[in-house]
Amino acid sequence: MEAQIWQANIIPFRDSPSQLRYNQTVAARYEILEHPADVGLLARGTSLAELFENAAAGMMEIAVEPDGVTEHEQKRIVAEATDREALLVNFLQEVLWLVDGEGWLARRVAVTEISDTRVSATAFGEPRNPARHAMRLIIKAVTYHQLSVRQQSEGQQSEGWKAEVYFDI
Amino acid sequence: MIPLEKIQKLDDYRYLIPRGTRPGMRTDALVYADAGLLEHIVKDLSLEQAVNVATLPGIVGRSLAMPDIHQGYGFPIGGVAATDWHDGVVSPGGVGFDINCGVRLLGTSLSQQDVRPRLRELVLQLFRDVPCGTGGQGHLKLSTAELDHLLVHGAQWMVEHGYGQGADAEFIESGGALEAADPAKVSDRAHQRGRPQVGTLGSGNHFLEVQFVQRIFDQEAAEALGLNPDQVVVLIHSGSRGLGHQVCTDYVKLMHGAMQKYGITLPDRQLACAPIQSPEGQDYLGAMAAAANYAWANRQGITHFTRRAIRRLFGEQTAVRVIYDVAHNIAKRERYQLEGEREPRDVLVHRKGATRAFPAGNPEIPARYRHVGQPVLIPGSMGTASFVLVGAEGAMRETFGSVCHGAGRMMSRTAAKKGRNAKEVQQALEEQGILVKSETRDGILEEVPEAYKDIDAVVEVVHNAGLAKKVARLRPMGVIKG
Repeated sequence: MEAQIWQANIIPFRDSPSQLRYNQTVAARYEILEHPADVGLLARGTSLAELFENAAAGMMEIAVEPDGVTEHEQKRIVAEATDREALLVNFLQEVLWLVDGEGWLARRVAVTEISDTRVSATAFGEPRNPARHAMRLIIKAVTYHQLSVRQQSEGQQSEGWKAEVYFDI
Repeated sequence: MIPLEKIQKLDDYRYLIPRGTRPGMRTDALVYADAGLLEHIVKDLSLEQAVNVATLPGIVGRSLAMPDIHQGYGFPIGGVAATDWHDGVVSPGGVGFDINCGVRLLGTSLSQQDVRPRLRELVLQLFRDVPCGTGGQGHLKLSTAELDHLLVHGAQWMVEHGYGQGADAEFIESGGALEAADPAKVSDRAHQRGRPQVGTLGSGNHFLEVQFVQRIFDQEAAEALGLNPDQVVVLIHSGSRGLGHQVCTDYVKLMHGAMQKYGITLPDRQLACAPIQSPEGQDYLGAMAAAANYAWANRQGITHFTRRAIRRLFGEQTAVRVIYDVAHNIAKRERYQLEGEREPRDVLVHRKGATRAFPAGNPEIPARYRHVGQPVLIPGSMGTASFVLVGAEGAMRETFGSVCHGAGRMMSRTAAKKGRNAKEVQQALEEQGILVKSETRDGILEEVPEAYKDIDAVVEVVHNAGLAKKVARLRPMGVIKG
């Protein structure tokens, strides 16, 4: 059972040209939030479905540089929970599972059905390839820390949905 | 925010947030800190979290906060809470996502003078030989059956399969394996994440550091531990990787469902818990122990690769021994004699970002060290120092045999990166004689020394409060990280 030592597992030290733009709204879909030890996300959407899609996109951008990831393959994602907030956590955990459990990166997630307690979606992406995919941070888990999923009330400037979620890294 | 006026100073190192401060608190919260550290501590939500922990059903003694405390989820990081084994709860948040994130110290027969001329070579060799696993994979390929054996036997499984030396497991907390481990309680997903990752370092604040012993405070203890001035040592900071994270995720989810069943309501969702004596509680403890064993096996694998890299460069005769290995995210069943009670009590001690620190004489300590106390390993961040301490009597009396685990983050990752350039940080460290090799640029930026509290101050507090005694101060020479 002696391990094979090979040198191909070195991911060359690199100065990534595309900076992860912290604290800067990227097309207002999501922004990264400050936290002493971990990383948070503030996601937005005009509908609950879009909110979930943008949250997934934000989380994936924390984990890997999106530019290198193509949409060759599709995978089905289903999550359930007793309430909307837990649903977001469970949904994001499914996307995260693909990364760490199946070595598969989602470039984009499209929600097909959503309610307060169940969501189904299709993830478009491909298997992880160290040669093409610049991994940024290993996200250990999605947490319930300061978790919120809120609908902006009518009459406010921007209608739609907002969510805040933190990741353990 | 807990207003400063509500915090009562008991003495220079102890601050109390009394039980009545917030409704629902079943006990006080006690913070070990000095005035300077406290100023920073009140800036985040860590004290709120310590107060929330004080509401846990079956909590015994106080909700304790160590001087390196910082905001976590549910429990603060640097928090300790014991619950009654028979009627208390177990909370996965009181252990953390990275179950048995911990530290191992290796002692070598090399001195600073031996290593300096070949430091770059050594760092590169270690970078080649010790996988960080950011690509997802390590060197070992285990079947599910092999993984299950590893989950039961922990570090010893690795030693028996060629990844270690005879006596290695003796110098690990709990011998490198908890008996309560139950692989059947570890989900398929956790198995799948864990199988390819055995023997990988991980990323974030995990690292492997080549250090030298800069200063010795306690000659007798240093001799017992096998530490001498200028000796080169290696500090490994790593945990249970994807397997542990998945176990925590799975059980937090399970316990959310269970809380209603047991009529438990708590101020913070992340404190999700279940009675220890419930199927959910017992299942979690079985899975947690398995994940803890995985982490010890992991650190054992890394030890083996490190040993081989060092011997490759400095010769097969080079001694590389395990000095000690501690967990700092774990829950353990222990027995304490509490003030005012006639019989000792069995409790579950949750240590989240806190290290066990048993004093001299305790039978859990390896025979060679028993007369000086259990070694406590406190890693600093890159560019600062790490410490070796030994447990003292005060810890048994006051903190369920626990102390801090490190320096604690002060600055968010985004703040740490602002206005800093990885190359500059790397160069600044090189000028101090510290070489860093990281798989990612962010790995260097996020871990700048300024992002962490002052480790010397943190260690002074636990030393002066009588929880543990300083033995040695270690300085980094080379660092590898994911």
